[in-house]
Amino acid sequence: MLRNIGAPRTASAALLVLAFALAGCSGSGSGSNATSNGTAGASAGGNAAGGTVIKIGADLPISGADASDGVPTKLGVELAIIDANKQNLVPGFTLQTDILDDAVNGVHNPSQGAKNVQSFASDDAVLGIVGPFNSNVAKAEIPLTNSLGIALISPATTNPDLTKGPKALELRTTNPQTITFFRVCATDDIQGPVGADYAYNDRHLRKAYLIDDNETYGRGVADAWGAQFISDGGTVLSHDHITKGQQDFHALLTRAAGAAPDVVFYGGVTANGGGLIRKQMSESGIGNVAYFGADGVRNDQFLTDAGATADNVYATVAAVNASTIPAAKQFLTDYQTQFNQPVGSYSAAGYTAAMVLIKAIGLASKADGGKMPTRAEVLSQLRSIKSFQSIMGPFAFDANGDTTNKIISIWGAQKDKWVFLTQRKFAAK
Amino acid sequence: MFEIHNCAPQFIQQLINGVALGGLYALIALGYTMVYGIIELINFAHGDVYTLGSFISLSILGLIPLATISNPTVLGLIALAVIILAALLCGIIGVLIERLAYRRLRNAPRLAPLITAIGVSLILENIMQIWKGNSEVSFPQFLPDHWHQIGGVRFDDRSLMVVVVSLVCMILLNFFVFHTKLGKAMRATAQDRDAAQLMGINVNSTIAWTFFIGSALAGVAGFISGMYYGTTFFLNGYQAGLKAFTAAVLGGIGNITGAMLGGFVIGIIETMTSGCISDQWSEVAVFAILILTLVFRPSGLLGQQLPEKV
Repeated sequence: MLRNIGAPRTASAALLVLAFALAGCSGSGSGSNATSNGTAGASAGGNAAGGTVIKIGADLPISGADASDGVPTKLGVELAIIDANKQNLVPGFTLQTDILDDAVNGVHNPSQGAKNVQSFASDDAVLGIVGPFNSNVAKAEIPLTNSLGIALISPATTNPDLTKGPKALELRTTNPQTITFFRVCATDDIQGPVGADYAYNDRHLRKAYLIDDNETYGRGVADAWGAQFISDGGTVLSHDHITKGQQDFHALLTRAAGAAPDVVFYGGVTANGGGLIRKQMSESGIGNVAYFGADGVRNDQFLTDAGATADNVYATVAAVNASTIPAAKQFLTDYQTQFNQPVGSYSAAGYTAAMVLIKAIGLASKADGGKMPTRAEVLSQLRSIKSFQSIMGPFAFDANGDTTNKIISIWGAQKDKWVFLTQRKFAAK
Repeated sequence: MFEIHNCAPQFIQQLINGVALGGLYALIALGYTMVYGIIELINFAHGDVYTLGSFISLSILGLIPLATISNPTVLGLIALAVIILAALLCGIIGVLIERLAYRRLRNAPRLAPLITAIGVSLILENIMQIWKGNSEVSFPQFLPDHWHQIGGVRFDDRSLMVVVVSLVCMILLNFFVFHTKLGKAMRATAQDRDAAQLMGINVNSTIAWTFFIGSALAGVAGFISGMYYGTTFFLNGYQAGLKAFTAAVLGGIGNITGAMLGGFVIGIIETMTSGCISDQWSEVAVFAILILTLVFRPSGLLGQQLPEKV
């Protein structure tokens, strides 16, 4: 066929350019709202007298489905900065947060997290980072912070391999013996078993069907849960992994229904289908079966997605329920006054992570005679903190960078809200 | 890892899941195949028109005080009205996309409209992200849900609705394409655009109608997917569009019956693989079958309906 290739050529060339420009935008666009000078999204707080600015980086998923976890955690960090400036914890300096989003297209994204860490590192005013929220993001960030020598304190990542054992050493490739990654929450080698024990002993469930979202966190917590459930005397009927970006779980759940479980455990985050699985369980004929999850589903997005089926649902959180701690009372009041938003699973952890970092900065600055400390000095102060009085209770970091204050709280969903059930404390190992 | 489960007891149940999923894929696949049939363009924006259909339905439903209505007949009529409205609006958007983005490029080298289609897809995705945000949006479950039990097999009104609505749309489309004047014009344009024009067919309006119908079907699919899953997400169209496009190719792109068949085949393969092996293998199975089919039947299961060259 004869084709007229004269006139439309300029138009097509222009459109081509437009299409590529758009492709470029969507690749990095939704990820972060940072600017090169790092002031976007920053919230200076308090009334401390000016002076040089010290920045606390915060890398959290604050858009999309993960926002229902990320935003309350971020608010915890912001409150910490406000309080620290009020109390003048680092004399002569004003603290600021620099917050970057690691969610791309509504889901936390390891490479976006890595980019954010690099952008923090290139800003000399950033002396440490709070974050990330998700274990697979941490996996991408730890090697970077390890080679860059900057402190990364996570409020919520729970995969044990991030800090312990040979897999943690693989992450610390540049300086294997140097700890730059710390966390203020407990880990899945405790969280999983606590959930399994609760299912077996308190809810008297015996036959479990495990599903996970095939991420670092989801797989790890499902393995830990399943292993403990078996050693308690229960049966694990099957362990399936779902693929990302899926919406239809009917086939998987119909198969699960065939195995007749009395509990379905989902290891993973809401953004990957936690709430949809609960909803589709009832459509697949196992709506009356209990649903167990871990901290990845204990959020408001789960309640939205599951709707009326958010019942007979239990989830663990690898941190203390702040409202049971007298020391956190002021924090909870201030959080309410300041933001008028619900407290999330890891709001107090976000506050604590920022506070312990600020404490280390303060100590390092004091040791320097009031000068701006280096990142290395902040790191060494973090490692040598003996007992930090936090709103989650007193703690220090062990040789791996984990908190010595290990508490798992257990929650139940009642349609439109999460209700606190109980919590267990573990001795530091 | 790779274990075969005994899925025989649930075979029929899984088949129902597969047919419901396949019905959705088939509805979307029709738009791909019709557009390809008539202007040989792979309209990558089509999957996003499907998502747009669910977003539009959601917005229309938001205007109706559903909680105050309890009469099931009224609710059913509302659902019907929303389907029709969503289909109309998506159809109009499809026509606009053709008019603004593709028409000027109709005679340009093939790469230009293809890249444009990807551009339109990204534009739609970003608009939807700005519109409803980038997390799952829940879809009101306003229709009363009844369960049916036949033997050991149970299914609810929702899956029944997906299958019925998609079948009705396909029957209407078939009637339209093969028994109306405009349908005849479409087939003529698909066969030979220049000859059709010489015969007095308005090619531009025929192509616009093709886009209208294809996009309207995607709008219908958008509504029923919202009802079926209870949520929608601005990027849903990417995954669903990819599967539906695969379905169109599997059935023989350009072939309407082929797209329907392909949709159901893909839906059933995906569900059966999830049900009998593992979720992780479902996409491997879908694309392995696509490749195998194309190796042995390069023009798809039912063959392409290409212009007959003499």
